[in-house]
Amino acid sequence: MRIPILKLNDCLLVSIQWELDDQTALQFQEDLLKKIHETNARGVVIDITSIDFIDSFIAKVLGDVINMSRLMGAKVVITGIQPAVAITLVELGIRLDDVMTALDLEKGLEKLQQELGD
Amino acid sequence: MYNEIISHIKDRKTTLIEEWIERVKEEADERMITVVSEQVFQRTSYEFVDLILLSLSEKADYQDKLQLFSEKVVRLGWPVTFVVAGLRTFTHIVHDDLIAQGVISKEREGEYLEFLDKWMAPMSNEIIHTYASTWEKTVSLQKMALQELSAPLIPVVEHISIMPLVGTIDTERAKLIMENLLEGVVDHRAEVVLIDITGVPVVDTMVAHHIIQAAEAVRLVGARCMLVGIRPEIAQTIVNLGIDLNKFVTTSTLRKGMEKALEMTNRKIVGLEGAL
Amino acid sequence: MEIQSCVTILNEWDIVAARQLGRNVAKELGFGTVDQARITTAISELARNIYLYAGQGQLCIDRLNEQGKTGLRIIAVDEGPGIPDIRKVMEDGFSTSGGLGAGLPGVRRLMDDFDIDSNPGEGTDIRATKWLR
Repeated sequence: MRIPILKLNDCLLVSIQWELDDQTALQFQEDLLKKIHETNARGVVIDITSIDFIDSFIAKVLGDVINMSRLMGAKVVITGIQPAVAITLVELGIRLDDVMTALDLEKGLEKLQQELGD
Repeated sequence: MYNEIISHIKDRKTTLIEEWIERVKEEADERMITVVSEQVFQRTSYEFVDLILLSLSEKADYQDKLQLFSEKVVRLGWPVTFVVAGLRTFTHIVHDDLIAQGVISKEREGEYLEFLDKWMAPMSNEIIHTYASTWEKTVSLQKMALQELSAPLIPVVEHISIMPLVGTIDTERAKLIMENLLEGVVDHRAEVVLIDITGVPVVDTMVAHHIIQAAEAVRLVGARCMLVGIRPEIAQTIVNLGIDLNKFVTTSTLRKGMEKALEMTNRKIVGLEGAL
Repeated sequence: MEIQSCVTILNEWDIVAARQLGRNVAKELGFGTVDQARITTAISELARNIYLYAGQGQLCIDRLNEQGKTGLRIIAVDEGPGIPDIRKVMEDGFSTSGGLGAGLPGVRRLMDDFDIDSNPGEGTDIRATKWLR
């Protein structure tokens, strides 16, 4: 199953609704980069409210896709990281230092607009 | 053997008890004597000997009585070492008295001592067990009380919440604090969280590590974290220990922190016009 | 008292199955959401290690009940190449797979007890336990 990527003006919206297995995560990486290229999007919001855990593999895929997007000129905001997920990430020792975050999709879009200077 | 011993103890109850009290007092330290009143001591001693007799005659309610007695001793607050030593002393007194009165012959001394010992063992076990379980209960109750004390997140104004930390922070408490903090941030939809460490006596590398982790996790859920209430001595230890808090916004007082938090959310406090 | 459930790890899908098993047991034992996430994440790391380095192995979940304490133990066993230098892999940031190097030290931080036994050429046995608070 593929994760749907929606376009909204010059932004892309992604809402991950189910547990990510390795294949889906890698497929998503490829799909998102392709979509950024096609649409010339300047910003991406990835909402992971429904995700209840992230291990180091998925964290790496997410971190990579954010860096790759940045190289292609799109800023990424991750929204809806659950408290339990944040705690496990920190305890695992995974640092998502340069990742922008926001409480929910709405706040994430706001932040993105600010960053993009509209 | 049973009957011999029972009737002997019954006959010489008063003498035995007096001797026992005398001997226990000799062995116990000063503090113990002042803590325990003469009357209570006497009464408990008699009760104790009755119990011993009851255990020998093996009546059904012996277990219940023993439990009641252990609980009572624990409630009186006697040190466990004192009670256990007392039990042993009593065994010896009975044994010595049996010999002195010529109830047992020299050859069978060892046999009797072994018998008395075997019969005392379950009693001291029960008493130690009661002490231990009472302590365990106290410790777990205190632990629960401590957890209830732990760190509520208070929403002060829209988008700003404060978590005042009071007391020593260990790993277990730090985990609980982090959970409260993060769940609170999401529930209150906070944008800025102030962690107030005015009430934390010591900030060592471990505490700092936990606070840094919490701040990192707060950032992941999409809010910002500020550390307020840094006293001069805390600032000193933090720098001396080489703890890097540069990623943090920090202020010395909650008040300054609050002003900064309002600034971060594009607001400020203004006096009402015409007031004064 | 121990009740054990196991998943054989052969491919990536088994990692998902192992996590689901772990999460269900954690839920059943009464762990809160944060501990559920810790347990699920630890299982994922250990199962992935088996898949990546040993090719195949077993991941078992024990329900523990010792001295009135309830707990969950993850047991990850494989007969892969083993780990030549355990101290090295327990260091943060050490990785042979190009990953984040958070795996084993991370698992130790997520769980309460952690034991590792490994001999080169014979395989690896990792046990990690979380106690219900």
